[in-house]
Amino acid sequence: MIASRHGLMLIAPLMLVLAAFFLLPVVMMLPTSFREYAPGAGLVPGVWTTENYARIVTDDYYREVIWRTMGLGLFVTLACLLLGYPLAFLIARGPERWRVPLILLVIFPMMLNLVVRSFGWIALLANRGLVNNLLIQLGLISTPLKLMFNLTGLMIGLTHIYLPFMVLMLVAAIRNVPRHVEAAAATLGSSRLHVFTAVTLPLSAPGILAGSILVFVLTISALVTPRMLGGPTYKVMATLIYDEFMQLLDWPSGSALSFALTAMAIGVIWLSSRLTRRWAGMA
Amino acid sequence: MSALSFEQLGKAYGSDDVVTDVSLTIRQGEFVSLLGPSGCGKTTILRMVAGLVAPSRGRILLGTEDITALPPNKRGLGLVFQSYALFPHLTVFENVAFGLRRRKVTGAELDRRVREALARVRLEAYGERFPRQLSGGQQQRVAIARALAPQPRVLLFDEPLSNLDAQLRDSMQIELKRLQRDLGITTLFVTHDQSEALSMSDRVGVMARGVMQQFATPEDIYHRPATGFVASFIGKPNRLSGVVAARDGKGGSLRLGSQLVLNASSIDQPEGAKVDVVIRQEAIRLRSGDPEPGALAGTIALRSFSGARVQYVVKLTEGVELIAETASSGPDSVLATGTLVSLTIDAGSVFAMADHGAVV
Repeated sequence: MIASRHGLMLIAPLMLVLAAFFLLPVVMMLPTSFREYAPGAGLVPGVWTTENYARIVTDDYYREVIWRTMGLGLFVTLACLLLGYPLAFLIARGPERWRVPLILLVIFPMMLNLVVRSFGWIALLANRGLVNNLLIQLGLISTPLKLMFNLTGLMIGLTHIYLPFMVLMLVAAIRNVPRHVEAAAATLGSSRLHVFTAVTLPLSAPGILAGSILVFVLTISALVTPRMLGGPTYKVMATLIYDEFMQLLDWPSGSALSFALTAMAIGVIWLSSRLTRRWAGMA
Repeated sequence: MSALSFEQLGKAYGSDDVVTDVSLTIRQGEFVSLLGPSGCGKTTILRMVAGLVAPSRGRILLGTEDITALPPNKRGLGLVFQSYALFPHLTVFENVAFGLRRRKVTGAELDRRVREALARVRLEAYGERFPRQLSGGQQQRVAIARALAPQPRVLLFDEPLSNLDAQLRDSMQIELKRLQRDLGITTLFVTHDQSEALSMSDRVGVMARGVMQQFATPEDIYHRPATGFVASFIGKPNRLSGVVAARDGKGGSLRLGSQLVLNASSIDQPEGAKVDVVIRQEAIRLRSGDPEPGALAGTIALRSFSGARVQYVVKLTEGVELIAETASSGPDSVLATGTLVSLTIDAGSVFAMADHGAVV
């Protein structure tokens, strides 16, 4: 065991770096979010306002972007979970000789640059992209499906990009489920399906939770892929914040949106941990 | 009436035989142990009975029903694991209720039977706790209650006491034995601990390298070992290399070194064969003074007191050393180092086994 005093010393360098380059700028943004912005002139001196926050709740456009972002986060998390769990189960429980090749396959996409991967999806999903061309030539559709600049496109792209994180978390969790506990359930009369739902699934809950939080947070804060697959008009919070800062130079509004995004992320994480703990008896 | 029987049961992984053609019949209400060193195949047999491992050959019968191909959830057996294997996400009550719920027991009946099972292991007050809030011994008792609650036809134990400390293990042995007697439930118990197997069982099966060496009462196993392996595995053996000096009916005499000759009441090998001579430590009686006729002479080289028992290392001629064990309260319990002693060895506790013929 490491004494707490030594523990503090071990994390002190990282804490200092984080405090100076992460915490401090964030805290400095807090006053900015209560300032008033005059277009073309910048911050209005001496004026404090909660208008930036009020607008997030009252403005229809902001509200739409917030719901879109949260919905996207939930959809992508759910899709990663549904696609990732069977794969993670195969990696964790399948033949030993498959494990390394499968894990390499899972992490291989991460070796490619994010921009390259997003361009790949543009090539596939555009109106005259591979998918639409193929479907038209097969005679299944007559006009191209709209797969980009909308929720579908973002969901497909982000699910692909964040699936490896989910799978790696789940593999670790499933490998931690003790086999003899599953065997105990079987001898007590559980069918294979019931063993899975009553034992394996709840016991891998920590991994489901960790993977979901990771994917959710990464999704709602993703910038590059939504920008490329959503175009300049179909915005999520991250791209909206980016535009407020860099295009409109409206720092107060951008800061307020940033804090709102953080608050929502924390809220969702808190709620989902509570629900998971209750479900898996970890309370 | 037979409750559980194996016919030519075998398991091979590739060309590796883990269990070789084991056949035995366990009677209704009987307590049977499978005893052997790790890797002898005893746990594999248990897992085959539970349905967790598929046999390569042979059949398993529960009563008259062939269960060889049934999945574990259709067998109606109770299994207690060495590592307890409790459901960490469920309370003690829900752990015990698990098997009952699978059998569609609900409501007041469920409640009554869970409480009854918990009362049997004296854990009535712990229903609302989670397994991690209990000690090892308590967790093992929950595991036993969980296996008992659905009233299985046969109880299976996989080294259930080996994770407990010595004192707790002793009291759990007695508690388990009493529970088994009270319920009259047929029990198959796997262990590597011979005192556990001998003290609890009606019959013991000793296994080595996948082969059943002997299946008999504890008394027979101890006093009339069927093979050299059993002789050297049971009790506390001295093992020395020697030669069969003479054959005389079933028995004969064995020679250690060039002069020491011991009588043995059962020898399988022909005269002149090189053998390992096995002598039980507790079968050697020591008396201070010159050797009586027919006894051997030795000198006490070391005395080691361990509470109820005393062990001596005795030096014989030609550098042969034997360990002798005795109760710590008898007349031969206070022999000092250097004392000349006379050793009497019961011919029934001297065995010959094929040269390096077994793994211990």
